Amino acid sequence: MGKRITIDPVTRIEGHLKIEVEIENGKVKDAWSSGTMARGFEALLLGKDPRDASYVTSRFCGVCYSVHQIASARALDAAFGARVPWGGTLLRNLVMGAEYIYDHMIHFYHLSALDYLDVMAVANYKGKDPALNKVKEKVVGLVKRGDVFPLVPRYEPDEFSVNDPEIVISAVKHYLDALQMQVKAKNMGAIFGGRAPHYQSIVVGGFTQYPDINQVARFRSMLDEIAQFVNEVYIPDVVAFGTGPLLPLAQAGVGGGHLNYLSYGSFEMNQSGKKLLFKPGVIMGLNGGMAVKSFDQRKITESVHSSWYKKDPPKHPYEGEQVFDLTRSDAYSFVKAPRYGNVPMEVGPLARALVDQDPTILGLIKKQGVKPGAVARHAARAIETKKIVDAMYGWCDELTAAMTKPRFKIHDTAHWDPPATGEGAGFYEAPRGALGHWIRIKDHKIAGYQAVVPSTWNASPRDERGVRGQYEESLIGVPVPDPENPINVVRVIRSFDPCLACAIHLIDPRTNEIRKFIVE
Amino acid sequence: MVKVFDGLSRRDFLKLCGTVGATVGLADLFTVEKVAAALKSAAKKPPVIWLEGQDCAGCTISFLTVEDPTPASLILDTISLRYHESVMAAAGHVAEKALDDTIKEGGYVLIVEGSIPDADDRFCMVGGRPFREILQETARKAKAIIAVGACAAYGGIPRGTPTKGMPASKVLPDKTIINLPTCPVHMDHVVGTIIYFLVTKKAPPLDKLNRPLMYFGMSVHENCRRRAHFDEERFLTDWNDPAQKDWCLLEKGCKGPETYSDCPIRRWNSGINFCIDAGAPCQGCSEPEFYVEQSPLYAMGAVTDRILAKKAAGLIPKKEIV
Repeated sequence: MGKRITIDPVTRIEGHLKIEVEIENGKVKDAWSSGTMARGFEALLLGKDPRDASYVTSRFCGVCYSVHQIASARALDAAFGARVPWGGTLLRNLVMGAEYIYDHMIHFYHLSALDYLDVMAVANYKGKDPALNKVKEKVVGLVKRGDVFPLVPRYEPDEFSVNDPEIVISAVKHYLDALQMQVKAKNMGAIFGGRAPHYQSIVVGGFTQYPDINQVARFRSMLDEIAQFVNEVYIPDVVAFGTGPLLPLAQAGVGGGHLNYLSYGSFEMNQSGKKLLFKPGVIMGLNGGMAVKSFDQRKITESVHSSWYKKDPPKHPYEGEQVFDLTRSDAYSFVKAPRYGNVPMEVGPLARALVDQDPTILGLIKKQGVKPGAVARHAARAIETKKIVDAMYGWCDELTAAMTKPRFKIHDTAHWDPPATGEGAGFYEAPRGALGHWIRIKDHKIAGYQAVVPSTWNASPRDERGVRGQYEESLIGVPVPDPENPINVVRVIRSFDPCLACAIHLIDPRTNEIRKFIVE
Repeated sequence: MVKVFDGLSRRDFLKLCGTVGATVGLADLFTVEKVAAALKSAAKKPPVIWLEGQDCAGCTISFLTVEDPTPASLILDTISLRYHESVMAAAGHVAEKALDDTIKEGGYVLIVEGSIPDADDRFCMVGGRPFREILQETARKAKAIIAVGACAAYGGIPRGTPTKGMPASKVLPDKTIINLPTCPVHMDHVVGTIIYFLVTKKAPPLDKLNRPLMYFGMSVHENCRRRAHFDEERFLTDWNDPAQKDWCLLEKGCKGPETYSDCPIRRWNSGINFCIDAGAPCQGCSEPEFYVEQSPLYAMGAVTDRILAKKAAGLIPKKEIV
């Protein structure tokens, strides 16, 4: 038996996550992913006014804020029979676009980059660039004062860590610049969203903020500044890393996993809603030729086989319940195990790009020999950020045109009151992947509520058939030459942009001694 | 560049002082010179520990949305952020050591985000330990404790779930906790409260719910720009109608008259907007009743009925033009 190590908690992600791996001959042989925090929102919603759901579920997550608000509103739209007017859809698109930009930026620079950078290499920078020397002065100044929190303490750099002072110092500068830029993206969203994080203006039937022309102008002007950063800094950084120091990791496809991909599709490009910026679809096994099949929501089931809920066979989310059972010793996570046609799926930017047959990502695969895995996920995230920025200009133009026409509408007021009975599903692509909300209404109140979130797909535990979830599978074979230094494990996990929050400890099962390790 | 205080340029520093001054509204107490002297006299940056329990990280993300001072200057120049799961480079034993060392040193500001499960410790475990224990241990030598967001302050949304989320004050009954409710916490409220404490070495004056009066002293209704429409009972019913665009949102479930916060004056995201200006009713997220007792959020219910009854009884004064 190999050496079993526990990583709990993993930092720089959202939520509380524990990863256990078994290491044999310097590689991960088996893995377990556990969500260690629960709040039980679905049970809270029972018996409430259905319209509360979009506000309450927004609080599922404050990092990918409001993706639940919109998925929930879409489920309500379906259950109420509401048709969101084109003005309302455009406003929803714009605020969600702003959320994507902030989220992808903060993930790359602030949550992930530290896994790949030897930050202290900036001290060796010898160049003359005044802006970069200011960064050097800042970091060296912190070191001299003996207070470098929160950049240090950190993980010991390994063979994949970038330590070229020129590259590192510009990356650190961009880390600081991106801190500013992510504020801008949130503030841009607040122009129509009311505030950010947690927008206020997405409700069943549409939107509450009646826009004026100055708001659109302000939004657009902020978008210009962000677009410049995305095109001139973010994308070049990802390209420089992916085709430079990280190319071996990229070509080895480290962190690939099951190679099944699912996207629900998102961002209506026209009033009928038939044309989407991201297409929906399913890829069952990339090795099978990458054929994209159509998505059928009836094939979704959730298993509680390994989760701390009352034991129950896998069910469609409409039928699912949430009854905690903390006594089950065969369970190891609060995360349930969603499956599509009984198969675990990866969701997120890479899944969207592959389902979309995005030419840039296909080019990386075909020409650069990049295989789907941790590095490809970062690339897909950057590529789609640009795609969204470009689309947002179009939505600004369309909104301006729509606003100047008579009978401009943002809300379906005729369908505001809850129906006596009904059910609806709301699908959306969150930055982290496919997100679905399901609601059942009885006597004008919520009679059932379930959400299957992206990190449930990715972080799921084993199902009835013993099949691992995508985090678990993606860790198999990952090189861990030194069990006390499992940096590759967290690199792979962070590439998914987990929505659970944590740090890493290693447990030696023979001595039961908790040995703790630095995880950068 | 003139360095007013280590690592901070004079320009940044003036911005910082501006924020504090505006925050506190006590111009003579918080002159640039006094703030500068206070912060300079601190031999080093004040240590801060930020713990996350049953949270959504929304308060962290809100804190990182403050514009002046910038997040970078806050994190790197103003405070010494010793432990924050979502931000710190370290984890594992170095992170834990940083936490342990800071606890031994004492004198840190402890910020708590998220509630604590009352139903069972196992609903929130960090590093294999109940979050409740970690919080109690860390609170012992904290110089100040700030509960950010509705969950840490009063239990918030998790209060109504089967996990029975409880506030920090219930886990730490012997401590004075500065509550900064709202969901998420207002970025200015956190920054201003930290700086107030660093400058004065004490908590700002608090109301009976332990909220700083400087932020929670007046109701949302008192400062609402739709207030005159409330007086005249012009209630918005259709968000599409430009004529009703600025009418009172009571009929859509607004809880402004029973909610205490400076949102209408301060607004959110560097003053860009806030709920009511975006046509969205105030949901009372700064009150202990948030969320369960405030449901339904988007319709008339117990809260709005009470407001209308008070209005009928003449207990809600009309807006006066001064």
